[in-house]
Amino acid sequence: MATYDNKAWLLKNIRDAFIATDDTGLCEIVMAGDDFSKIFQNKAIEERKRERDKLFYEPSTSKEKESGTDDDEDREVVTRFDPYPDMEDSDEDEPCPSYPRFTNEMAHRQRSNTAQWLDKKELALKKAAKIKIIKWEDPPTQLNPEQMAEVFAKIEVKKPEKKKSLLTEQLKNCPNLPHRQYLEYAKFDGTAQLGLPVKSFKIFMTILPEKHQNYPLIVCVIANAKIKDLIGFTCYKYSIDHPEVSLGSVHDYGLCIAEDDGEVDWAFPCLDNNEPCSKFGFTCLGLIDVKRKENIVHCPYDLSSAFQCFPKASVSGQSHMTSRQNTGGSDTSEIIKAMNTVTEGNRGLSNRSSIDASQDKLYRVQMLHKVRANTPVQLGVTLDAIEVVPLVTNKHAFWARPKYFLHSINSIAWCQILEAKSNKTIFRIVYSPNHDATFNERNNTANINTYPTAIYKKHDFETEHDTARKIVEKVNTILDLRNSPCHREYKMVKEKKQQTRRSFHTKHLS
Amino acid sequence: MSGEGASTGAGSQVALVTGGYDHTIKLWQAHSGVCLRTMQHPDSQVNDLEINPNGQMVAACGYQHIRMYDLASANPDPVLNYEGIVKNISRVGFQENGQWMYTGGEDCTARIWDIRVGHAFQCQRIFQVPAPVNAVVLHPDQSQIMVGGQSGIIHIWDLKTDHNEQLIPEAEASIQDIAIDPEGKLMAAVNNKGNCYVWSLGGSPPRPVPHKHLQAHKKYGLRCKFSYDSTMLVTTAGDNTARVWRTSDWTLLQELRHDAQRWVWDAAFTLDSRYLFTGSSDSYGRLWDLEKGTLEREYCGHQKPITALAFRDQAV
Repeated sequence: MATYDNKAWLLKNIRDAFIATDDTGLCEIVMAGDDFSKIFQNKAIEERKRERDKLFYEPSTSKEKESGTDDDEDREVVTRFDPYPDMEDSDEDEPCPSYPRFTNEMAHRQRSNTAQWLDKKELALKKAAKIKIIKWEDPPTQLNPEQMAEVFAKIEVKKPEKKKSLLTEQLKNCPNLPHRQYLEYAKFDGTAQLGLPVKSFKIFMTILPEKHQNYPLIVCVIANAKIKDLIGFTCYKYSIDHPEVSLGSVHDYGLCIAEDDGEVDWAFPCLDNNEPCSKFGFTCLGLIDVKRKENIVHCPYDLSSAFQCFPKASVSGQSHMTSRQNTGGSDTSEIIKAMNTVTEGNRGLSNRSSIDASQDKLYRVQMLHKVRANTPVQLGVTLDAIEVVPLVTNKHAFWARPKYFLHSINSIAWCQILEAKSNKTIFRIVYSPNHDATFNERNNTANINTYPTAIYKKHDFETEHDTARKIVEKVNTILDLRNSPCHREYKMVKEKKQQTRRSFHTKHLS
Repeated sequence: MSGEGASTGAGSQVALVTGGYDHTIKLWQAHSGVCLRTMQHPDSQVNDLEINPNGQMVAACGYQHIRMYDLASANPDPVLNYEGIVKNISRVGFQENGQWMYTGGEDCTARIWDIRVGHAFQCQRIFQVPAPVNAVVLHPDQSQIMVGGQSGIIHIWDLKTDHNEQLIPEAEASIQDIAIDPEGKLMAAVNNKGNCYVWSLGGSPPRPVPHKHLQAHKKYGLRCKFSYDSTMLVTTAGDNTARVWRTSDWTLLQELRHDAQRWVWDAAFTLDSRYLFTGSSDSYGRLWDLEKGTLEREYCGHQKPITALAFRDQAV
């Protein structure tokens, strides 16, 4: 291990390892002692000076000569206090930190338990320093009568006058307490438990109207609270902060995994109500209405209003279906037809059979992911929405399960071909979750974000050249038809960027 | 109905403090039932809580310590820690001018602690009794302390003369709590059989005269307290109830019972004697309307039984 013979470097690494692996942050506190890095650096400078002087006066041989190449005037003198060259680059703030209990002579083995114990003791001492301790002292002498009279004088007892209580008044002024229905969950408050393990979550209140969900609610519960307790406590906390908003029964709500921007992952099931929250590693969760969730999960094809151009067979009739199937030729004419369907008022619900019947209008493509392998999805492009239905629902691999997406066409900003490979073409759909909000509210899907500025996200897909071209063409036709604010804004931003920075386009495509 | 005008909740001096087996002390917003703060009471349950006369601090006594917490700050740790006692301290209280504090404990003593700052002489006192002390109460005239304990004897300790007198209301029963009404005319004590004895102290010279024997509860009595207007006495017990008695004719005014409620360890009246707080083994604090006998508020947050509570009201 020739590379690791430098004390300073080792110390830095041990220190970093401690800090990085210690979630409690206590290690950092312990090691935030004297700045040994400076001491080391100063020593290094001194020693280097000494070495140079030595070399100057006895240029022939020296024991320390192994450290550099000979006969080079500008050669670097490496001392035993020098850190490795890349150290300063990696951490500018503390170029050479060290563990204060180490001596200069040798590195100790890691004594994490001892260090922890010392740390605990240190904290306890710090705490104790703030507490004034008064020990019982037996009375030294008998008090004289004057002193007795001063301290233990008899006071004449007066009949207490009748007083009005401030509490009674406060009770009168505070008759309505919406949080009382969740009171039983108050005991899971993590901030009130000193010494018990706790867990904090960011909860996005997707059950509330849009204007109330600008910020996630940060809740801290004791680690052994169950998910249902977390739900209850979330309601409790929210109703204290916002007594004007009425929430429903705890049993109607569930917690789903959410992105840190609040986007709920509808493809995952709700977290199991009876599991302790300590079991889950997520910190961002969305509080959702279970009934809505059931609608989405159990019959994704019934997300009816999103699929207005796939009318229900019973409403629009099989003949319509056949005609649709026979159109085939141009996608644009297809859209115009579909538009007609909509304007005719055939806002029927699609069901599985109708979906099956119009299978050719749903595209099987590969969805590209940054880290995971590509997943086959069914891309549904309609006049009103773009739907991404994962085709493989691997129920066993919970984590790898692909997501279900449904984007209103109003939230679709852009669609283009990115790259044509030898046998496949990659295309991208850019969407903005903000613009989904109104759509979602209307459609009760509650996948909502509210941010003051537009945020654009993207999906990348891969499929055969022809299909990709068709999809992109179709989406762009719909976008042009709709000319939604989202699409316009994105176009504007894109043009602006292109003006200011020529290279944007290539970068964007990469 | 004083004409001082309605007072808002802001900056109010109303404080409800509860403590118990979960080694925490909680400060509540009494009218809303929201827990404002949790303080740490390490290594021990809380046997008794008392807010000091100026309302700034709350004293909590437990095993070997009496700890004082600042009510105004957000500090979860005590600011003062009185120690040097070997066993549980069961009761704590203050002289009304805040000159000294009194305690009683299982080391069979009652003690006076000097809590004044910068005084020429110390006024610590110690009073030894033959059995562990369960109850200590200061007479409103600030010169006598009643000390009751497992021997079933109530010692009346005159602080000025150091003389003491003894009362034995019932043989082979442990005194659990003693109370004296704010006018200094009645003294009550509950024992572990659920019996409550009342003496009148009004005579001259003031000597306790047996006044009433109440079979207050069927089980273990835990606390007794008089209301501020001396018209009511509350007794709490291991039979999961708190009972409020009229001091005029010693009839039962209310029995405060709740399905979930278990042992009721402590109780406190509001200044207008209209409401009563109770703390129970089911870890809930409760507020009762004494006229209607209805449950008005619940205080949830403790993980384990509430064994002590202190309430400071403000006059308006």
